[in-house]
Amino acid sequence: MLEVAGIGRDYRVDGGTHTAVDSLSFQVAEGELVCIVGPSGCGKTTLLRMCAGLLAPTRGRALVDGREVDGPPEGTAVVFQEYGRSLFPWMRVGANVELPLKRLGLTRGERRNRVAEALRLVDLEGKERVWPWQLSGGMQQRVAIARAVAFRPRLLLMDEPFAAVDAQTRADLEDLIRDLWSRLGITVVFITHDIDESVYLGQRVLVLSSPPTTLRAEIHVDLGPDRDQLETRSGPAFAKLRAAVWREIQAAKRGGE
Amino acid sequence: MVNAIRKALLAIGLPAVLFAAWWLASAGSTSFYFPPLSAIIAEFGETWTAERWRDDVLPSVARLGAGYALSCIAGIALGVLIGRTRWLFRLTEPVLEFARAVPPPVLVPVIMLFAGIGDGMKVAVIVSGSVWPILLNTVAGVRSVEPVQLDTAAAYRLGRTRTLLEVVLPSASPRIVTGMRQALAIGVILMVISEMFAAQSGLGFAIVQFQRSYAIPAMWSGILLLGCLGAALAALFNVFDRAVLHWYHHQRAEEA
Repeated sequence: MLEVAGIGRDYRVDGGTHTAVDSLSFQVAEGELVCIVGPSGCGKTTLLRMCAGLLAPTRGRALVDGREVDGPPEGTAVVFQEYGRSLFPWMRVGANVELPLKRLGLTRGERRNRVAEALRLVDLEGKERVWPWQLSGGMQQRVAIARAVAFRPRLLLMDEPFAAVDAQTRADLEDLIRDLWSRLGITVVFITHDIDESVYLGQRVLVLSSPPTTLRAEIHVDLGPDRDQLETRSGPAFAKLRAAVWREIQAAKRGGE
Repeated sequence: MVNAIRKALLAIGLPAVLFAAWWLASAGSTSFYFPPLSAIIAEFGETWTAERWRDDVLPSVARLGAGYALSCIAGIALGVLIGRTRWLFRLTEPVLEFARAVPPPVLVPVIMLFAGIGDGMKVAVIVSGSVWPILLNTVAGVRSVEPVQLDTAAAYRLGRTRTLLEVVLPSASPRIVTGMRQALAIGVILMVISEMFAAQSGLGFAIVQFQRSYAIPAMWSGILLLGCLGAALAALFNVFDRAVLHWYHHQRAEEA
């Protein structure tokens, strides 16, 4: 589904070059939910923007369905961290969710149905006529998720989507993502700096190193499909996985082996 | 309800006081140049007959309308183009600042040279002054669109036209409307000035005529009419502003 092959990105900083991402390679299979974690400033967002076709890599490439990404690929939705700024304040919630559907050749009725269904899935049923800025942060991020869901993407890229919401809301949103993922059968790449979140959500966790960034470790999360905020998180299997990711990130920060 | 009444009283309060002050201060005036307000008001009805409205007021408003509409179209279109094209912005930025700093009335004699003294000249004069605030505000508004919003539009592959109409222009609209408001005020001034230079009709022409024929109360009534026209246009603009930027004012009120 998504293949990243030797991808890297340099930034020019007065005179020299800063290598944000050195060389990364990994694959994400159809229908997988993969989390990517790494120390802060390790180029997670740079990586996601390259996969989304929003930023051109300096070397290597990303492929979606075997086709090289040279612009935003078809059938891909992105949810950004800054929910407040990714929604359009001049559109009501319904119009925000509907906008990406307008080029898909759907009738008005079909678009409305999709919007209503997506809002229902994120627990915002009937909120079409509300303005986004009248909603709380967590609800705004749910609108952004509904916008992605209504689009029916095959690949959903999420860039630290819950970094700016409070802990309780965050737990609800994590369950929402697990639920949507298993219901819709889409491929999800979820970037986060939160170790617990990566283990709780993912089937697989990719740990990145400090810049110049490479893939440091790959950890399979064998927690099964049914996860519960309380039960799963307090079990020994979770603690072990969490510790494994933790050690990798600590080692990554020191830059040692 | 009480609030609405208080608001209305506040809005008309100062104009009413100023009007009354003018009325009282000029009541016994024997000065040739500052006739009593009562005389000006009496003259108003005499002077601004249906004929004058047709021959002077309407042509003025039509020129203003044409010049303002052209300024809006050209200012927004060029502003979007310049704001969205990086090299064009770098190329034009210093020139735009210069053009904006030139006081528009000095262009009137220049424009007369090539545009003659007809309606075209007046419209050109209005455009030469009004287009700048719209253009510069549109450039600034278009350049300050939230990057996450542009990323969102790109990620969903909205396409150029849809991104422009549904994302860039609405996002820039508060700035564009600010520019349009400044442009309207400049447009009224330039309408009058262009008609004072060379014209056979119009409000500016009529006022200069009255002044030259020492019809002082009539001249004052023309000035009063101009003031009322400006106030009416500003009120009209507020209706437009509230309709177009409903979301913006609403959001700001909510966040305050």
